Amino acid sequence: MTMQQEEVRVTTNSNNNSREPIIICRNVNKWFGNFHVLKDINLEVMPQEVVVIIGPSGSGKSTFIRCINRLEEHQEGQIIVDGIELSHDVRNIAAIRSEIGMVFQQFNLFPHLTVLQNITLAPRFVRRQPRRDAEKIALQLLDRVGIPEQARKYPGQLSGGQQQRVAIARALAMQPKIMLFDEPTSALDPEMIKEVLDVMKELAQSGMTMLVVTHEMGFAREVADRIVFFDEGRIVEMGPPEHFFHNPQHERTKLFLSQIL
Amino acid sequence: MRAPDLERQIYVAPVEPPPARRPPVTSVGALGWLRANLFSSWANSLATLVTGALLLWFLGTFVAWAVTSAQWSVVTNNLRLITSGLYPRAEIWRVELTAALLVFLTGLGLGIWGRVARSAWIAVLVALAAIVIVPVLAANIPVPPVHILIEPQRSPSSLVFVGAAGDEVRVVLDPLTDEADMAVRQLGYVESQSRTAWSTQARAVQTGQLDLSNYNLSLRVRVLDASLSPLSASGNPATIVSTPEAESGSLAVTLPRDGWYVIEVQRDDEDRDNNAGYAWLHVEGVEMFPSLEVVRSGRAAELGPPPDVERPLYTEERAYRFEGTRDFPEFVSLQVRPFLRTISAEAFIGFGLFANGWIIGSLGRREKTVRRAAIAGWILAGPAILIILYGVQGSRTLPVVPGSVWGGLLLTILLTFVGITASFPLGVALALGRRSDLPVIKWTCTLFIEVIRGVPLITILFMAKLIVPFFWSGLSNIDLTVRMMIGLTLFSAAYLAENVRGGLQIVPHGQIEAARALGMNPLLTTSLIVLPQALRAVIPAIVGQFISLFKDTSLVAVVGLFELVGIVDTIVSGQPIYRPYQREAYIFVAIIYFVISYAMSDVSRRLETSGAGSVRR
Repeated sequence: MTMQQEEVRVTTNSNNNSREPIIICRNVNKWFGNFHVLKDINLEVMPQEVVVIIGPSGSGKSTFIRCINRLEEHQEGQIIVDGIELSHDVRNIAAIRSEIGMVFQQFNLFPHLTVLQNITLAPRFVRRQPRRDAEKIALQLLDRVGIPEQARKYPGQLSGGQQQRVAIARALAMQPKIMLFDEPTSALDPEMIKEVLDVMKELAQSGMTMLVVTHEMGFAREVADRIVFFDEGRIVEMGPPEHFFHNPQHERTKLFLSQIL
Repeated sequence: MRAPDLERQIYVAPVEPPPARRPPVTSVGALGWLRANLFSSWANSLATLVTGALLLWFLGTFVAWAVTSAQWSVVTNNLRLITSGLYPRAEIWRVELTAALLVFLTGLGLGIWGRVARSAWIAVLVALAAIVIVPVLAANIPVPPVHILIEPQRSPSSLVFVGAAGDEVRVVLDPLTDEADMAVRQLGYVESQSRTAWSTQARAVQTGQLDLSNYNLSLRVRVLDASLSPLSASGNPATIVSTPEAESGSLAVTLPRDGWYVIEVQRDDEDRDNNAGYAWLHVEGVEMFPSLEVVRSGRAAELGPPPDVERPLYTEERAYRFEGTRDFPEFVSLQVRPFLRTISAEAFIGFGLFANGWIIGSLGRREKTVRRAAIAGWILAGPAILIILYGVQGSRTLPVVPGSVWGGLLLTILLTFVGITASFPLGVALALGRRSDLPVIKWTCTLFIEVIRGVPLITILFMAKLIVPFFWSGLSNIDLTVRMMIGLTLFSAAYLAENVRGGLQIVPHGQIEAARALGMNPLLTTSLIVLPQALRAVIPAIVGQFISLFKDTSLVAVVGLFELVGIVDTIVSGQPIYRPYQREAYIFVAIIYFVISYAMSDVSRRLETSGAGSVRR
């Protein structure tokens, strides 16, 4: 078992440009109390791949991506991110979290800090970047997400879409290899959804590895390399968008698609 | 059929929106405000009128008392005790230095981080102007009269006073021949023994034991100068001669020069077998002048020694009982002027230091060095003040002044200061500990908080005094004041912990997740994300707790420390002449407490609404 882990670590670290998966999930199981939330999840994500996870509410898709940066703890199976296996070792968790950016449904910006401080906080205190450098990067990121003029404002003074774009910039400021999106547009007005999705598309085009939990089928169809359909804690069907939307195999998938399309 | 119906259902607004109009006159301005807030309904109007009447009645009664009957000299004459307790007089500069330091740092801090409301500046400048102007204006206000009761059983004394050239002195001899005369008709000062005798006799008259109509005194009243030779009024010697037949009389003299004078009362006892009756001697134009102060200030040398008379009655405040002022100018001259004169130097120095700090602060608010210096100043101020006040063992310039003689406002503020600065970190630590995942820490913190909160503060103070040294004898050597500081800190920390815990609970879990997802460790998450939000949310509760602590320091009086309330208690119970003026003394203390508490809650309100403090969601 340990040998196998070592092997994985060595191979993935040796060459990042190879087509080795950056995220490997093997037989991941998780329970909330007695409730079996995740059942034998097996998934490999390649670098620069955009994986969109869809499924009905309560199917375990959010829980799954929260396991990947250890906001939730899985009880069985292996999750290996960029060659590091998630375990109880605090150093491993910290190392993995700094590789993974996460964007939440409720933005979770820090309301007591300005936009600029929100973005520079982690680079300064976790990465120990000098303030000047961190602010320079932060302003570039704000420019990239399209709101350079909001740097000195507080999150409460921004619209929902702007807040979510700040949240993306905040995650990007740590220069992660992987970005997790947990229903990033579910708390937004229809008018604002587009501006957030545009930023995400740009990010996907730039080659970021992304795991996106969303209900935006248009986005999934357009951007995803692969779509994963979750139901009742397991992966029911998985495949590229053309396959998924036009030629679904599983009855559950067909039912789901018939209801939302 | 359907066309008219459609017309009713469809509406399209014109392209141009209508122009904005002014609101009706009755809904804006002062009139609008009055209507909307005070007289919006008949119930509201009734409430306004009833409350207004009650307020006016209460304020009117209070102001009338404060101006006409209260004797605020208990405050003026004891200011040093009230501010610094029994701190040795020779070392009082250390208290002053401490105060100066704090005032300067406050000005500096406000200049950098805060702002002083324009109304506050105006109030302070008006107060400073009053300190200068009022004594000048009050210089020519006639002084209230002095009353001495002439009794048959007591040999009359001679009133000895210091007069200035040109002073007009008027003496009225007023025999008490009927019940109406018993009232003290003119207010001012009544000599203490006379006051006692007068109230005894007034009771005797009421019960019929004393018959005033049997007046049988013959008196001679003269005004003498320092060499005991009589002054003259309009050419004749200034003398009143009173006999049972020709009872009353008055005289007025203008004093020829600065110096001592005597109003001498002589009774012709030999002529009368039946020596009965009482008479008031009213003296106007003589200033209540503490003769001790004359001696102390060196004016005794300038004026010469006081004339040598039998039974001298000096015009010093302590020998007289104050019976009230007659009008507002007299109140200003008698109560306000001495108070302002006592505090004037301190007020100006204090204002100067504050203004200097403020100017430096506001000019340098963008300079990092100034801001750092101010923070360092505040951090160092605590230990520096304690060292200055307590002193250094074996030092000549800073001999040790034990905490047991610290007192008054000084002790109150020190207890509060130490209590706040020590209980804040402790309270936050307890709050975090109570939410800890480690059961042992959690239980210990919970136990501590619940035990302290379940016990009255006074019990904790007594425990700090009596029981703690029992467990650990080393503690009995610790200064009682320090033990009280510890007791207050523990008490305050327990309550603070619960307030902070309330704040911690309202920080959404998403905040912690976001911080963790960014790779922050628990320490960074707590200190950068959770605590700032939690503390800001509970600023009102925390400041409320600090205000309580400030007021609760008065309880240390019970274990024998003389903080503000304790020292005032000592003043009014320990000095007989101030015993009648407890009300004035305690009202002054209440005003001090109120001013400081109000300032604290004002700071709290500003913290809540300021850019740095408001939680923006």
